[in-house]
Amino acid sequence: MQSLPDFTDFARLPGSRGAALSFTFDGQNVPAYDGETVAAALWATGRRGLRTTPRRDEPRGAFCLIGVCFDCLVRVDGRANVRACQQPVRDGMRVESQRGENDGAGGGP
Amino acid sequence: MTARQIVIVGAGPAGMSAAVTLAETGLRATVIDDNPRPGGQIYRQSAWPTDEPAKPDNAARSTTLSDRGTLLRERFERAAGKLEVLAGASVWGLFPPRTVAVSHGEGWELIEAGQLVLACGAYEFVSPFPGWTLPGVLTPGGAQTLVKSQRVRPGKRVFLAGTGPFLLVVAHTLLAAGVEVAGVAETARRRDVARRLPGLLANPRLLAQGSRYLRELRRAGVPIHWGHVVTSAHGADRVDEVTFAPCDGAGRPDGRRQRREAVDTLCVGYGFVPRIELHRLAGCEIAYDELQGGWRPALEHSLETSVEGIWTAGDCGGVAGAVAAELSGEVAGLGVARRLDALDEAGYQRRMANLKPQLARVRRFAQALNRAYLPPRRITDLAQPETVVCRCEEVTRGEIEAAVEHGGNSGRTIKVMTRLGMGPCQGRMCWPAASRMIADKTGRRPEEVEPLSVRPPTMPVCLGDLMQPRQEPQLSLSPSPLPCSSN
Repeated sequence: MQSLPDFTDFARLPGSRGAALSFTFDGQNVPAYDGETVAAALWATGRRGLRTTPRRDEPRGAFCLIGVCFDCLVRVDGRANVRACQQPVRDGMRVESQRGENDGAGGGP
Repeated sequence: MTARQIVIVGAGPAGMSAAVTLAETGLRATVIDDNPRPGGQIYRQSAWPTDEPAKPDNAARSTTLSDRGTLLRERFERAAGKLEVLAGASVWGLFPPRTVAVSHGEGWELIEAGQLVLACGAYEFVSPFPGWTLPGVLTPGGAQTLVKSQRVRPGKRVFLAGTGPFLLVVAHTLLAAGVEVAGVAETARRRDVARRLPGLLANPRLLAQGSRYLRELRRAGVPIHWGHVVTSAHGADRVDEVTFAPCDGAGRPDGRRQRREAVDTLCVGYGFVPRIELHRLAGCEIAYDELQGGWRPALEHSLETSVEGIWTAGDCGGVAGAVAAELSGEVAGLGVARRLDALDEAGYQRRMANLKPQLARVRRFAQALNRAYLPPRRITDLAQPETVVCRCEEVTRGEIEAAVEHGGNSGRTIKVMTRLGMGPCQGRMCWPAASRMIADKTGRRPEEVEPLSVRPPTMPVCLGDLMQPRQEPQLSLSPSPLPCSSN
């Protein structure tokens, strides 16, 4: 499985963190630590865009990071429209970007 | 449905302070908060709190805000046995008079509150401009959260823009985290701030803290561009450059003096807006005050709203900062205790007499700050006709103005005509800017534009979840082994 480039050396500040784990984002392995949110873990790997918009097909990423703006919506284990900034990472979690979706269709493959 | 004598929504400085105050009078409050740990946005803790720096051992040494936050959190933890804490839970509805709908991990429930303290805080106002939806553009509060809570650097080279002392706080945080701060574009001129010095002297301690931040940023060679505005962010899939220019007092840029700066991250914020969705669902009277962030609930001195038994503490009652939030939490807590006869009139009056002058002083400071750093009057003119204003429904400024030309003049009509404010954020992000645009276009003041209506759910809720209400309240977290414990 291909992995996203890891900028962890720079992005993560020194200090102890939770246990190392990994989840997938659009099929690629993402290293993370227990206690991180999906948004922060992806941000730390250098990833900024998390979805594209339904109407203008524009890239969007985390914006407010406090759960208010709903711009960082992702699909988590098949459940759509989850706020990446509020969702804690779990080992083996399957995160997918939403491409032009705006309904809560959910389900997933 | 379950009933609780006292429910507090929010565990930031205001909610924590109200809860502690009530616990001291022997009353048990139920505290509901969206975050996994208490502290709110301002006193947000690291996700791994055990190796946070050593704590000050007494209040006398508490010279900085973060020390103050640590002390308040410790008091909250000590009171934990006398509280019920529902963490990681979102309140998405309020049904009059005082029943709140709460979602948490596995389901949702209705809680009928005897007394309800709303301490929901505030969120940032970001005025739209070309490129503001690009990934890598985020709020200053978002950057602060990444560093403080997740210990992730937002970028390698970051530019900050907007207005308000919080920009300097975040710039300072970034600098300390080893991030290169490429510059700060502050729309206020230095003289705008200097003019407010008499009011700012009401809190010499915070004033000194601000000056210290400014000195340290200067010493680190961070350019502070007073009287400048970021006019656009550039990049294909993410921001890689920003344009900024000097601006006049109304925020209009001087196009001939534009400069560009290569960055990988841009933080933009023009101050804070009180979070009043629950007040509006409750039918609380609201009032507009530009010095407190815009629309806020109308409040008695006791901080009770126009609806009996609903009280307000902290920034959702008018933006005034963390110290005011903590003091107002105490005022609201005392009011509830008095109402429930856990405190006699003499005791109430004695404590209020002590609190009132303190609160007046920090509010005077906050008003002076807010006046110095008001969002410039024409700041929304940075948005071009094709610039998205409503991020959720992708409604542009041109579409809003076309709707106004076709007779739209209120939150309700513009929403119906354009879908503005219909998305999951429910207008929280766009309305402060959209109302200014509608006001300008119709020759009115923003407060003369009827605001968007609020309906539950104020946060998206999955229908599948709604069909499975939990019979038993999931308050098993309490008296919670608080994840913020300092062991």
